[in-house]
Amino acid sequence: MGWLFGRKQRDRELEQEIQAHLAMAARDRMAHGEEPQAAERAARREFGNRALIEETTREMWGWTALETLWQDARYALRGMRRSPGFTAVAILSLALGIGANTAIFSLVDTVLLRMLPVEDPGQLVELMFKAPHQDHFNLFSWKSYDHYRRSNHVFADVIAFGFEPFAVRGEGLEPARLRGLWASATYFPVLGVKAAAGRLFGPEDGAGGSPANVAVVSWELWKSRFHLDPGIMGRRIVVDDVPATIIGVAPRDFEGMEPGSRPDLWLPFAMEPMVHRRSNIGTDNLWLKLAARLKPGVSLEQARAEMSALFQWAIEEEIRTSGDGTIRNVKSEVEPAGGGFNRLRDKYGRPALALMALVALLLIIACTNVASVLVARGAARRREMALRVALGAGRFRLLRQGLTEALLLSMAAALIGVALAYFGTSVLVRIIAEDPGGVHLQAKPELAVLLFTAGVAVLTGLLFGLVPAWQASGSAPAASLRRQLFGKGLVVTQVAFSVVLLSAASLFVGHLADLARLDLGIRRDHVLLFVLDPSSGGYDNERLLRAYQDLLGRLEAIPGVRSATECGFYPLSGVGSMQPANVEGYQAAPGERRHLSRGWVAPKYFETFGVPLLMGRDFTFEDRGRPRVAIVNQTLVRYFFGNRNPLGKHIAFDGDPNPFEIVGVVGDTRSFEPLPRDPPLRFVYFNMIQLERNYSEFALRTTVDPASLEGEVRRMVRTLLKTVPVTEVRTLEEQVNRAIVPERIVAMLSGLFGGLGAALAALGLYGLLAYTVARRTSEIGVRMALGAARGDIMRMVLREAAAMVCGGLVAGVPIVYWSTRFAQSLIPGLSASGAFPAVSAAAMMLALALAAAYVPARRAIRVDPMEALRYE
Amino acid sequence: MPTAMGKREGYENRIELLQGTLDMLILQTLRWGPQHGYGIGQAIRAGSGEVLQVETGSLYPALHRLEKQGWVKSEWKASEHNQRAKYYQLTAPGKRQLTSEHSRWKQLSAAIVRLMNPGETEGEA
Repeated sequence: MGWLFGRKQRDRELEQEIQAHLAMAARDRMAHGEEPQAAERAARREFGNRALIEETTREMWGWTALETLWQDARYALRGMRRSPGFTAVAILSLALGIGANTAIFSLVDTVLLRMLPVEDPGQLVELMFKAPHQDHFNLFSWKSYDHYRRSNHVFADVIAFGFEPFAVRGEGLEPARLRGLWASATYFPVLGVKAAAGRLFGPEDGAGGSPANVAVVSWELWKSRFHLDPGIMGRRIVVDDVPATIIGVAPRDFEGMEPGSRPDLWLPFAMEPMVHRRSNIGTDNLWLKLAARLKPGVSLEQARAEMSALFQWAIEEEIRTSGDGTIRNVKSEVEPAGGGFNRLRDKYGRPALALMALVALLLIIACTNVASVLVARGAARRREMALRVALGAGRFRLLRQGLTEALLLSMAAALIGVALAYFGTSVLVRIIAEDPGGVHLQAKPELAVLLFTAGVAVLTGLLFGLVPAWQASGSAPAASLRRQLFGKGLVVTQVAFSVVLLSAASLFVGHLADLARLDLGIRRDHVLLFVLDPSSGGYDNERLLRAYQDLLGRLEAIPGVRSATECGFYPLSGVGSMQPANVEGYQAAPGERRHLSRGWVAPKYFETFGVPLLMGRDFTFEDRGRPRVAIVNQTLVRYFFGNRNPLGKHIAFDGDPNPFEIVGVVGDTRSFEPLPRDPPLRFVYFNMIQLERNYSEFALRTTVDPASLEGEVRRMVRTLLKTVPVTEVRTLEEQVNRAIVPERIVAMLSGLFGGLGAALAALGLYGLLAYTVARRTSEIGVRMALGAARGDIMRMVLREAAAMVCGGLVAGVPIVYWSTRFAQSLIPGLSASGAFPAVSAAAMMLALALAAAYVPARRAIRVDPMEALRYE
Repeated sequence: MPTAMGKREGYENRIELLQGTLDMLILQTLRWGPQHGYGIGQAIRAGSGEVLQVETGSLYPALHRLEKQGWVKSEWKASEHNQRAKYYQLTAPGKRQLTSEHSRWKQLSAAIVRLMNPGETEGEA
């Protein structure tokens, strides 16, 4: 701060300069024979008003902008130190507002706004199809890909890719399962990405005698496994027992078309027939996702029309082979994909928007809060302001002073807010990472987000700095009344917005509670799930089957375990497969959809998951080697048998000569999501022991806290299957919760924001009432002296509070109504019927406000009339 | 309202020299060499035959203004009576400024002379 010391130095020099002037003048007078003391006095008199001259001279130096700023800042800091309570409240409420906004904006930025790091992402589109009442799918066969690619006139080119995990080993590379991606030859050229090192594959690889077994690795893999070694180009690796050569590294942050999918390596289609015994290339198998780049000048509408026509061809083809006429309702879709195929957007986009609206409200409440406290304080500082005006402070300077104070506050708040945002974003990312979609959100507060926060902070500063500062600098006597009305208006606004926040919170929390109560067909408590990875353990199928059976027996012996089972999939995580079948005693109509969902489970599956066995028996280990049996669910029975007894009847799947005998009927379960929109499917369960199929998903029903058994389970697996690692352990409850992450986030955050908003509004109300009570001390004193009871005074203050709150409620209810509609449009299945959210929010707000008003009201009745009047 | 601001304005009104004239006189005085504030005031008074009395309230702000504009620079030196004083000295831009102000002032005074003596012709002047 040299410039500050510089100023002090100059002050000293000016003093010395004038001192020298006086000394020289006095000396001249003495030289003319005056007495020393008289000479000095005369010199001083002649010199004039020294302080004023110094002041005028100092003005010539001018203040640098920085110096003025520092002065303002120092005044502001002094002011803050004088009222630490106010400062803390103001900074914290703003910090909460800004932090929440930054965290949510980071989410919105990641989910909705961020574009793919590829060439001209705006031209990319995703190809999909959609059946009525279902989500859209991007799942195509190689034949469709080839057909669309050759026949269309709207795309510059089409790309296709399919995910597959690979077992990869090689020199300097520990054997590992990596996330792989089969990519068409068009993939890299169409996306227009450049290799970070080496080169990327294209149409030339696998054509004209050049080798097809090449691999491109991700930058992340290059870093974590190869330590950015530029020598990996040309290195041999083995992918699912097929040797391949690494030719290049994809750019950093490049994840292909699917943000959050984090592929480790890309292999060309040309290599696929070497890896798969039965290649998918040239077949109808659905395994590919498609995207395309629009030709320049082609509109989305043109592309949709063209694809719709081409899709019809694929549908007719499908109907010819499957005979399933229901798929005629399936329509093609073309959607912009500049941000990638973002399932996150489908899942989190709307909740994120809802949250964005909520945090914006929170910020408004925080701003009004600070403004109302500033207004109250401005009133308290009227004397100070008047004094400063009297001492020559210009109106502009006062305004600037006020603004500096406000900006300083909002900058401090922004700093704390950004810290809060970092924390909040990392918590959000952690919660979203639980989502079984397996997404890894790369949401971190970025430059754009920081700019956004800075913008919010500065705007906030201007917003709440200008009004009180302007009022403080105005000296009109009517200002006091205006100020009070303004303050009341602020509180009314706050209450209105808080009611909206609270009702939204009540709405979303209620929604989550509905989901928690939703009947899933299973009992979600007291179940522990764990998955084994036998892929590199050296077990063959037969040995593994015996080992697993052994393991199930040992697991049941663990104290606290009621039953143990094994299955091909967990409830709520999908179905094994879907196949058309004939059910004995049922004549399907032509074109009727005959597909049944199938799943492979071990004995005690239903007992473990709490699925009721309604008829017949469960699977047993003794079924092995006997005629094939199946257990079906209620929906299947209702569809194919009505009221007839299904036990003993047979189900024959197309292309499978051995039918299954139905030996049991179990209750329906939800297959995909713990949400009401997931209807039960017609389901057939097979005994995996009987079919000698191995799956590695285990489940235990426990009588104790399931999570407490994890250590015991790991020990058991280690002693029995030394080379097979336990890959995942979690409770069923966690598994269910993961499926409703967006709902949980919205409920949690809206609850938090609602609480914060209401607390801020209460704080604002408290501040205003405390201020009015302080101002009306003498009036209250007079009233009491004239015989008003303490109860009257208390009622007077509370009535004032209640009036403001009611004003806020009246203003808030229409917004609540409108925003509930808005929320319903954003989040399907929101049970927003009835007035409960609004009423509960209003009640909560009223209670909180009266509690906040009680403190100043008590202060009012403690007023000593004598004291108050004497003060006057 | 007798505020500080009001007082200051009153003080500034007492500047008797035309705005800019004092600056020119100071620069002119410094042409003969470095001088301190007191000396400059004395020199102007003596040089004008005691007609021009420079108020310290105008002199020091003017000196500091000139220094800020870079037309003079200052340095602390001991005076002839061994009194430490701040000596002002003309800079190169200051000399240029003096020249231009001088010629402007000549035009101005000639114009004023013409205005004040409308009957006289140029030739006679």
